[in-house]
Amino acid sequence: MATHVFDTMGTGASIRFAGDLPPAEALTAVETCFAEFDAQFSLYRSDSEISEIARGALTLPLASERFRDLYAEALHWRSLTHDSFSPHRPDRVLDLSGLVKAKAMDAAAAGLSAADVHDWMLNVGGDLLVDGNLEGSPWHVAVVDPDDRCHLLCTFDLDGSRTSLATSGTTERGEHIWRSRATSTYRQVSVVADDIVTADVLATAILAGGRERLDEAVETFGVDVIAVDADGSIVATERMHRAHGFAL
Amino acid sequence: MSIQTATRRRASPNSVDRARRTRTRRRLRRADLLVVLCWSSVAVAVSLYLAYGGLSEVRDVASALTALGIVTGLVGTDLILVMLVLAARIPLIDRAVGQDRAIAVHRSLGKPALYLILAHGVLLTIGYAMSDGSSVVAETIAFLQGSDLVLGYAGLGLLVLVVVTSVVAVRRRFSYEAWHLIHLLSYVAVLIALPHQLSSGAVLADGTLQRVYWIALYVLAFGSIGVFRFAVPLIRSARHDISVAAVEAIAPGVVSIHLRGRDLGRLQTAGGQYAIWRFWSAKTWWHAHPISFSAVPTATGARITVRDLGRGSSAISRVRPGTRVSIEGPYGIFTDEVRAAPRMAVVAAGIGITPVRSLLEGSVLLPGEATVLLRATDASQQYLWQEVSALPSLTGSAVYSMVGPRPPGLATWMSAEALARGVTLTSAFPDLLVSDLYVCGPQSWTELVIRDARAAGLPEKQLHVERFDW
Amino acid sequence: MRRRAVVWSVLSSGAILAVGWQLGAETAATTGLAETQAAPDASSASVSGGSAATTPSATTPSATTPSAAATPAPTTSEAPAAAAPAAPAAVSGTFTGTSVSTRYGSVQVQVVVSNGSITDVVALKLTNDDNRSVSISNRAAPVLRSEVLAAQSAKVQGVSGATYTSDAYLTSLQAALDQAGL
Repeated sequence: MATHVFDTMGTGASIRFAGDLPPAEALTAVETCFAEFDAQFSLYRSDSEISEIARGALTLPLASERFRDLYAEALHWRSLTHDSFSPHRPDRVLDLSGLVKAKAMDAAAAGLSAADVHDWMLNVGGDLLVDGNLEGSPWHVAVVDPDDRCHLLCTFDLDGSRTSLATSGTTERGEHIWRSRATSTYRQVSVVADDIVTADVLATAILAGGRERLDEAVETFGVDVIAVDADGSIVATERMHRAHGFAL
Repeated sequence: MSIQTATRRRASPNSVDRARRTRTRRRLRRADLLVVLCWSSVAVAVSLYLAYGGLSEVRDVASALTALGIVTGLVGTDLILVMLVLAARIPLIDRAVGQDRAIAVHRSLGKPALYLILAHGVLLTIGYAMSDGSSVVAETIAFLQGSDLVLGYAGLGLLVLVVVTSVVAVRRRFSYEAWHLIHLLSYVAVLIALPHQLSSGAVLADGTLQRVYWIALYVLAFGSIGVFRFAVPLIRSARHDISVAAVEAIAPGVVSIHLRGRDLGRLQTAGGQYAIWRFWSAKTWWHAHPISFSAVPTATGARITVRDLGRGSSAISRVRPGTRVSIEGPYGIFTDEVRAAPRMAVVAAGIGITPVRSLLEGSVLLPGEATVLLRATDASQQYLWQEVSALPSLTGSAVYSMVGPRPPGLATWMSAEALARGVTLTSAFPDLLVSDLYVCGPQSWTELVIRDARAAGLPEKQLHVERFDW
Repeated sequence: MRRRAVVWSVLSSGAILAVGWQLGAETAATTGLAETQAAPDASSASVSGGSAATTPSATTPSATTPSAAATPAPTTSEAPAAAAPAAPAAVSGTFTGTSVSTRYGSVQVQVVVSNGSITDVVALKLTNDDNRSVSISNRAAPVLRSEVLAAQSAKVQGVSGATYTSDAYLTSLQAALDQAGL
């Protein structure tokens, strides 16, 4: 196994390959991909497109096509999750950060596929996306213990069509999740899905929307969920019950 | 109009009686079979549900309510489909029990079917609400979000409308045509409820016997309606090309309409039958009337006699020669075919003479086999009486007339004068108990005759009544 | 004749209902899967008792019921008529239950048994009710932790947690793994 580590979007990212590292161009392409998304969508950069829109220097109709496409997708998710996931912050600032990281991961994965690089696992700030397998076995992944960053809540395989695992929590960088205490008491929500955008959006939506949103997400999208409540109790979908670390 | 009667030779009385008894037995058995089939179809609906493990899903109150909800839906739908079959005017049913009886059963099933479907909706909503732990309101809202289920609700709504408007008190306020139009919405109700049965009502799951049964039942119901209420009448009307030849006033408010057509012998109309007629003129095209043949049709001609009873029939009395006519039928078992006894007794009043006239014309009778009693309040109601007396088949048979008003305040079918003389049904018809009694006339008068006949001990199978009010 | 019609109707309806009842009872009894000897797991059925979200109408009279038994462990579930006898050991294979109707459509369950233990339950045919594909085998239920896992013993390649800052990454488990993997 070989791992490539880099910084992006204010967080640490790493790609682990089952075999040797691929050619440098492939890795650079991945980093560039993230950098581009960051340049366009980071609210922490005053020169990003989204910041310009936030301060009114640029209006939405004049924004770039990629921006508008992403915004449209964010709106679509907002309606699918009944407002639990929303790009509209209470302070009226347009915040697409909930979608950007996953979209960038998707784009990077497409780039690696196009370069015929396979059997890797990409981790960007806690979101996992895998391709292929690790020497014939599925990638084995874990969810961190929300009470103790040094320990794991559970581990399981990402097999079959399940390529993505995203976790949302209130522990770190939770500002982009706005939720009402009335609807949700979850502290951490992990979603296993067939694509990283779905996993990421639903993890955010369930954290904000609570049990109702969890049931809906499972029913509508067929994803797997592990949610940790404020009192420490854990709720998980059937398939996750088999995860190592849970009592059978 | 020339009235032709075929000269038929009678077989010996004994063999005729034997043949009649056999025919009657067969007809009654067929009627019984139809009843058994109706109830069995309900049993099959429930039984299939049980066979596919319906009961094993019952574990607690919630699932019991849900199961009951499913069963009420199954039974209710089965009954509705049976009702459609009864209203489809299938000849087999007509020959066995007569359309009037079929429609009577149809009517009696209406309210129970509706209650069952209502129970179906209510029980399922409560059952699912209980098992999901949600409220009935939330469950209903969830149901309403499924497009098929919304159609199910719509079907139920239409059904309620149809049944409510058919309740006698409400029906009276509508003209027959308006009421009938609303009633036809029942077809729509059944059809739009079908999608939810296929998708949410998983009883119709692929490849199961249940699916086969229900599809067969739907095909039978709608197929029968399509064939016997639409296709056959259309074909018949086109083939026989019937139109009005002449309209003859035979009494105040009474006309005989002479019809001309093609190949009418093919209709195989028996004496005493009726058909449902539609006259294609501006004022009459939208209503169809059941009117008895007042003479046995020839190859090219037929005659019906109508009394001016309401707006509809009065308009018919005024149709002009040349008006096209379409026909549904012939229907009815007020005929010679249903004879069960050696003798024949006939009682007719007013317009009731109409089917009686053709019945007697079409019957093959021994001299003196029949006794006929004709009732009228006054001279204006004695139309066709001469014709009846002159019928060849009544040679040697007695035709009595009873004219005069009934005694005021007394419920009797007889005239005051006859009552005073001590006439009774049995005195007029001494052999009543070994006779087939044919009765036709105004509804309440007919009921009184029937009451007396039953009181005298006449067996049901020998009582034949033609009703016009169904 | 009416009385005869009534009598025959009652008789035939009764007979038909009886046949249906009998068939229903038979199906329920014979399609239950053999109960396994993994006894300790049988008690965990009490854990699934806490699962609030059982869908009664989604249960099958055959095989095990994925939603009623919250655990994938080798237990046979409720089905009232499924009094299946204890199995001879080491049954393996894939068993397909009968197609069963639920409010969401028809469901057919496939059970994978390995050495007498049910290792997987798969819902085969799930029809959609108005674009809502229902995964009745996957409703969320409470779960208990068996132990606190240490990263080293877990043999994982990736750890997912709430998004951390770059600095936080450095002290994260993922970083430890990444360094180890290099």
